[in-house]
Amino acid sequence: MRVLVIDPDAARAALVAQGLEGVQPLEVRRSAVYDEAEVLAFAPDVVVIAAESPDRDTLDSLRDSSAGHPVVMFVDRSEPGLAEQAVRAGVAAYVVDGLAPNRVRPILDVAMSRFALTQQLRGDLAKAKADLESRKTVERAKGLLMKERGLDEDGAYRLLRKLAMDRGKPIGAVAADLLAFAGVLKGDGQ
Amino acid sequence: MSGLSDLRLGFIPLTDCAPLAVAQALGFFEEEGLNVTLEREASWATIRDKVAVGALDGAHMLAPMALAATAAGEGEILAPLALNQNGSAVTVSMALAQAIRAADLQAPSQSSVTAAALAKVVAARRENGQGALTFAVVFPYSMHNYMLRYWLAQAGIDPDRDVRLVVIPPPRMVERMRAGEVDGFCVGAPWNAVAEAEGVGHILVAASQFWPGGPDKVLGVTAGLATHRPDELRACLRAVMRGAAWADEPENRETLIELLARPDRVGAPAAAIARALDGEIVFHRDAAGLPRREHGLWFLSQMTRWGQLGAEHDLQALVDRVYRPDLYREAALSLGPILEPALAFADAAGPAQARLFDGLTFDPQAARAYAASFAIGRTIA
Repeated sequence: MRVLVIDPDAARAALVAQGLEGVQPLEVRRSAVYDEAEVLAFAPDVVVIAAESPDRDTLDSLRDSSAGHPVVMFVDRSEPGLAEQAVRAGVAAYVVDGLAPNRVRPILDVAMSRFALTQQLRGDLAKAKADLESRKTVERAKGLLMKERGLDEDGAYRLLRKLAMDRGKPIGAVAADLLAFAGVLKGDGQ
Repeated sequence: MSGLSDLRLGFIPLTDCAPLAVAQALGFFEEEGLNVTLEREASWATIRDKVAVGALDGAHMLAPMALAATAAGEGEILAPLALNQNGSAVTVSMALAQAIRAADLQAPSQSSVTAAALAKVVAARRENGQGALTFAVVFPYSMHNYMLRYWLAQAGIDPDRDVRLVVIPPPRMVERMRAGEVDGFCVGAPWNAVAEAEGVGHILVAASQFWPGGPDKVLGVTAGLATHRPDELRACLRAVMRGAAWADEPENRETLIELLARPDRVGAPAAAIARALDGEIVFHRDAAGLPRREHGLWFLSQMTRWGQLGAEHDLQALVDRVYRPDLYREAALSLGPILEPALAFADAAGPAQARLFDGLTFDPQAARAYAASFAIGRTIA
């Protein structure tokens, strides 16, 4: 497990390492500020950041991208209740109040599994959108074949499927090619 | 018991926190029956989270952040007051400034505001196999992000493909540019002036050139504050309006700069703070405090243009929910003569159609069509 602690103070990194004792393999690194090159090179499984660090905005901006990491944020004890409120509201699931070594492991585990779940949901959504797009493309290609080749719907679909099998490409891709070429023949893109 | 109501407001160390800082320092909050704690926060994400969960009652906020948080269901945040107009700027490193000047000398562009010369530099770098330039903004949902993207794209530079865009917090911008990690950035005052004063960067475009009278930060408050404590919200808005009006007055300029320069406020050199206050940032006059729904719709159009907001959102309904000029007017009317009387009544106090530096106008009635009308964009179907 690779953990990056972004904190000017070394104490939190030490506590995190202590709380993860026994985890093998384990590498805990500390950096005073967010350094993109370092994060890329280290490829941490989870990032722990002090809530009072301005670098939080950089991490936050990555949360919806593939470059994102699960983030655990530690807030100061002088803000009692913030972590609980935030977690309850589902706003910042990574906000945790205070820090005791025995709480470190479960917190990081939850953050990582929640992150994995979010990434999976995002992937599923993207796939569903792509599937829908592909189906629309196939429908349009079918329509084109019916018009140009005088086929019925079933015949148009069979032709598309044959083209896909012959070329070893997904039917959606073949349909998209067909539409693109038809466009070129009609003079689009000139 | 002081008999005062407690209110917690957050701010980020930037010049445009002035209306809040002034209201606090001059006792306007107390005069309105409020005991306000001003909490300096380190990041916009923390501001958003704290306001969303009610750990803060309100905060100095990036206007699009309130819209984004509400659209995403991360919390209901209202904008009953705009804190300022203008203040942001695009700054480039000295090396890039020089390259741009050289490119511009070969074939001078018509307007100094466009990124036409920068586009030539970007193209030349591509031909020479040099890496893409890196630009930084402060947050994905910010005027800075949309201003930089609009300005680049207007000159044919695709902000997602032709350059690299990263997020860097305002106080770190200048050091990253000095280290050569970013070639340009769009950030709020005073950091552009700080970069210039330290010989690290050169200011290319100020927000007032990009969009004269264009929007910037708002006071974002929890919807609960408006529902459950409307009197306190009104009192708070009155105090902040008075702070904004005070901050605009030229005779208060020196005192204001001194106040903002304090380490527990902006913590930057007085000269750098003074720069954007001189003919750039407006806090109160010209109805700068009115949270205009046209401004909110422009932000939504850019969020749509860059794929941050899907087609499922009703833009008008969203802006009506978040932008609350009615709350501003109500508070302004209860305040009396400090306000130019016309302001409280009319959205017509300014042009309904915004005109940006490229001469294009924005029709708030057609925000979605506007978003889709640009040659460069990422609109989601």
